[in-house]
Amino acid sequence: MKGTLSIVGFGLSTIGPGTATGLIFAAYINGVARQPEARSILQPIAFLGFALAEALAIFGLVLAFVLK
Amino acid sequence: MAQPGFVPPDSNDFIFKPIFGSSIFMTKPALMIFFSVILIVVFFTISARKAAVVPSRLQFAGESVYGFVRTTIGQDVIGPEFERFTPFLFAIFTFVLTNNLFGVIPFMQFPTMSRIGFPVSITIFVYLVYHYVAIKKKGLGRYLKEMCFMPGVPKPIYIILAPVEFLTYFAVRPLTLAMRLFGNMFAGHLLLLLFTLGGEYMLKSALFVKFFSVLSFGMAIGLSFFEMGIECLQAYIFTLLAALYIAGALADEH
Amino acid sequence: MATTDDGAFWTIIAYLIAGLGFWGGMGFLADHFLKTNFLTVLGMFLGMATGLYLIWIRFIKESPK
Repeated sequence: MKGTLSIVGFGLSTIGPGTATGLIFAAYINGVARQPEARSILQPIAFLGFALAEALAIFGLVLAFVLK
Repeated sequence: MAQPGFVPPDSNDFIFKPIFGSSIFMTKPALMIFFSVILIVVFFTISARKAAVVPSRLQFAGESVYGFVRTTIGQDVIGPEFERFTPFLFAIFTFVLTNNLFGVIPFMQFPTMSRIGFPVSITIFVYLVYHYVAIKKKGLGRYLKEMCFMPGVPKPIYIILAPVEFLTYFAVRPLTLAMRLFGNMFAGHLLLLLFTLGGEYMLKSALFVKFFSVLSFGMAIGLSFFEMGIECLQAYIFTLLAALYIAGALADEH
Repeated sequence: MATTDDGAFWTIIAYLIAGLGFWGGMGFLADHFLKTNFLTVLGMFLGMATGLYLIWIRFIKESPK
């Protein structure tokens, strides 16, 4: 076995954002299904949450390459 | 356990020997690309040959694929000018779909798109098309201005924002487009290889371990169906994003 | 409808990667030439902020409909 520990770290760090993205879209779909006219209000909020959660994942990706 | 240990599959399993002589031009993936083109041409020629008002089964299959690309991807995304781009999108969709599905067809079992060269060359086409469309419609200066300098931002912040916008359109978009297709196919094929090779290895070892190889082979078969879904989905997403980029190039303002 | 959502996800990811990549890379280069070691981190934070700000402008402030 060979490889770097950074990749393992990146793998671990994707658990959080993955869970977060799932929860955000579960809530978004739930909301739209219950009240379709609320879509225009919910969509920006869902995108903001998605962007913030994804930012952490990409941070992890870059740090996995940068840190040696 | 005196045998040599289990050798996990790695990226070397994606490199094939040349078929004719020593030229690396003709390997299995290259042969499969040519085969896929022939397959697509033959299929759609036959299905459109005897076009009738009451379609035969083959004609119905061909027309439903075409209708799917034309309506769901073309019309819904690009809007009124979609008719010009339908052949382009249709060609991309069928080509990527056929080559992806080679990954689960017995005796081929290699998704051509898991060699990075093929997604990159398709992406270059998409890249040229959407920039050409935008520059022809808006002119180079206006295109760049609309891209980099969106309204509603204080002037000094443009120094920070403009390079990032520029990089997004010219580097990151094609990069993610190619990497997504390549990554999905590569990882999927590696996963199938791992379970199949693992099952084979366990079958050769001690009696107790042999029972677990059934589990591994079962997993490989289950994942093959899962892969089939992913392969169709990736072809769809690739075409959809190509359509979205063209739509963004055609849009008047952001 | 669903298709525009799909496009937005990938655009968001592209913005984040571009912001982080560009300003993080600038910071890395600055570190390399100025022999310092804090500018990479600074650049990465700036890039992340830029990416999030662009997403804010594109998708949230003037949300599509």
